[in-house]
Amino acid sequence: MAGRTIVVTSGKGGVGKTTTVANIGTALAKKKHSVVLIDGDIGLRNLDVVMGLENRIVYNLVDIIEGRCRKEQAMIRDRKLGNLCIIPAAQTRDKDSVQPEQMKRLCEELAEEFDYVFIDCPAGIEQGFKNAVAGAQLAIVVTTPEVSAIRDADRVIGLLEASMLRDVHLIVNRLNDRMVKKGDMMSTEDIVALLAIPLLGIVPESEDVVVSTNRGVPLVHDRSSRAGAAFQGIAARLNGEDVPVHNGRELGFRDFFRKLFTGQ
Amino acid sequence: MLKAIKRFFGERPSGQEAKKRMQFVLMHDRLDLTPDMMEALKNDILTVLSRYMEIDTNSIKVDFEQGKEYTALVSNVQVKRVLRRPECTR
Ligand SMILES: Nc1ncnc2c1ncn2[C@@H]1O[C@H](COP(=O)(O)OP(=O)(O)O)[C@@H](O)[C@H]1O
Ligand SMILES: [Mg+2]
Repeated sequence: MAGRTIVVTSGKGGVGKTTTVANIGTALAKKKHSVVLIDGDIGLRNLDVVMGLENRIVYNLVDIIEGRCRKEQAMIRDRKLGNLCIIPAAQTRDKDSVQPEQMKRLCEELAEEFDYVFIDCPAGIEQGFKNAVAGAQLAIVVTTPEVSAIRDADRVIGLLEASMLRDVHLIVNRLNDRMVKKGDMMSTEDIVALLAIPLLGIVPESEDVVVSTNRGVPLVHDRSSRAGAAFQGIAARLNGEDVPVHNGRELGFRDFFRKLFTGQ
Repeated sequence: MLKAIKRFFGERPSGQEAKKRMQFVLMHDRLDLTPDMMEALKNDILTVLSRYMEIDTNSIKVDFEQGKEYTALVSNVQVKRVLRRPECTR
């Protein structure tokens, strides 16, 4: 049976697409699925450093598309998980060096071999976006609880629907519980009501994310991280498991003890 | 503290304000009504209304209002004088 191809997109940059791809992909690989992550951000390659694989790159996505290498040659295997690999973006080319048709064909080929094919979409709604969504069956839209990110997300959802991609799910990233409680941040309910697509998960704002990218080790390897637990929950739901979305319930051990001792 | 005082005097929490603003912005984005089209819409409304009454053409306001289950177009126009016999002025 063919695997699923999933694009992670947002419109606005810096909202957490690459972080999401790295973590959901790793979480699914930990569940023994075969997973490939494609960095679609041609010219601004990042997925490799977030995954800690930057030293192993020889070939890239554009090399595959232009026939300079077989796709196996461009795939970089994860350091910990043998069933997880990435295809890095080209760093010195621009987004026009790939066409949507070519991406579509590549995704189809990869879906023959892998259970999950993720595409990390660049910011914006131009060529890079069109390429990234061309081969996807499902889209995950990432937003933060901020007006500009939400507005861009809405625009992207409209474009996805127009391009016949109807299976669109929402992740709210960088939610700050304390600010929501004070009334100084839109709640997840507010955001879901505005964007009117199903909620796949909520990821709290967390320093762990920065630490994990510093080390190049995805958060889902860290069992004490609340944000890591949130990504695991998202991966499980994507995988069809019945895990409820709940910001507080997906709490890690460290937070649990912090709460216990400090009461905050 | 200052914030608490401001809230006491009726300042909305910023989260709610963001939500209200986004409802409005997203509706406009989705409708894709350019300012020119809004202007044309206003003029059309004015043309129709002035067949029945004398109105203050500068006073017209057209807004979209987002309810929970509906989207409403709300237009406010100042009526100067209602004509006695609509459309039969001579
Ligand atoms: N939940 C989070 N908490 C704290 N920082 C985050 C979180 N998610 C993402 N970040 C940080 O935000 C920045 C942008 O994230 P990234 O995944 O690269 O976004 P994008 O791929 O959408 O441009 C990174 O520095 C990342 O570490
Ligand atoms: Mg990115």
